[in-house]
Amino acid sequence: MAAAEQQPPPPEGCKPLGALLGGIAQAAYYGNADITEELLRGQLYPEAAPEEFRALRAKMGGLLQSIASADMDLNQLEAFLTAQTKKQGGITSDQAAVIAKFWKNHRAKIHESLVNQSRWDNILKNMNWRVDLKSQSRHVDQINTPVAIVEMELGKNGQESEFLCLEFDEAKVSQMLKKLSEIEESMTVLTQTT
Amino acid sequence: VFKYVLKMFSNLFSLQCEQIIQHLNHKIPGVNTVELCQRLRMAGIEISVGDLAKITNIVSFLFSTAARNNLSTEDLITTLGSAVSTLPKHAIQVIRHVWNEQGKSVSVSEDTGNMATVGQFVDIKWKLGVAMSSDTCRSLKYPYVTVTLKVADPSGQITNKSFEMTIPQFKNFFRQFKEMAAVLETV
Repeated sequence: MAAAEQQPPPPEGCKPLGALLGGIAQAAYYGNADITEELLRGQLYPEAAPEEFRALRAKMGGLLQSIASADMDLNQLEAFLTAQTKKQGGITSDQAAVIAKFWKNHRAKIHESLVNQSRWDNILKNMNWRVDLKSQSRHVDQINTPVAIVEMELGKNGQESEFLCLEFDEAKVSQMLKKLSEIEESMTVLTQTT
Repeated sequence: VFKYVLKMFSNLFSLQCEQIIQHLNHKIPGVNTVELCQRLRMAGIEISVGDLAKITNIVSFLFSTAARNNLSTEDLITTLGSAVSTLPKHAIQVIRHVWNEQGKSVSVSEDTGNMATVGQFVDIKWKLGVAMSSDTCRSLKYPYVTVTLKVADPSGQITNKSFEMTIPQFKNFFRQFKEMAAVLETV
């Protein structure tokens, strides 16, 4: 694929391919339902017959899906695309170059979108906090003790949120920090071994 | 056997009432409904956590209303009788006893409006996992932490709230609590 950078710029016919891949990604990964096949054909390949375009779109969509599903790195991508250029009814090396460039630019974002698609439980959407001085007169030892009021927005992707409002005194914050340190330690071990 | 079950019921209901009073006096974050339910079940008394929670709410409301109106034990029992017709005799006895002993100590809260929406953090449990694969992506490989917060809501019920965080989200979460600790220290 390194050789592709030194080749002359891809022929005119490849520019719409880049845009086509973008349109496919919009619909498949970024949740943009407005990008229809008709729209893409009209904008990018107006001279192509509908069936011809449908086949092209399906082929490109399939390739992108394989690449995204395996979250291919550059080595895997090169091997995969090279194999595709050698196949009967596969792709041209120019098309391979366009696809490679597209994936390099969009890999992180598409992967993030796929990750989000599989988060079905409550997530922490947002968090705010402030510190108040508690001034209850009920128990003398509680006058003027600072407390943190934390508001957490919880909910599932695309669903209504629940706002959880909690009070933490200094001791509770310490308790929380201790547990969070444990998590961080485990995370470090995990990222070191993967 | 029946006497045993009755005694267990009285003891556990008494414990529930005491926890309710302690909660009203802000000495404990809430009533341990789940634990009480388990203990009742072990004694042979079948009751759901939901129903037990309802009882906690009713008795809590009863005690705080009685405290606000300075009711004597007899007035309390009369009020109770007119509100709940099907209360077993032993339950009434427990309430009478608990109110006699601790009724005077129940403080009347002034700022219930303010406290209404803020719960108390009790504990946190966590688990770290890695999502490997899914139907839409064979190579997901993203680590995430699932957290369960044990929370006491203003009425005293202890509930669990779970949610998931990615690594960057967790780091932000951790950082916010560190900032909180720093501010609390300086105030």
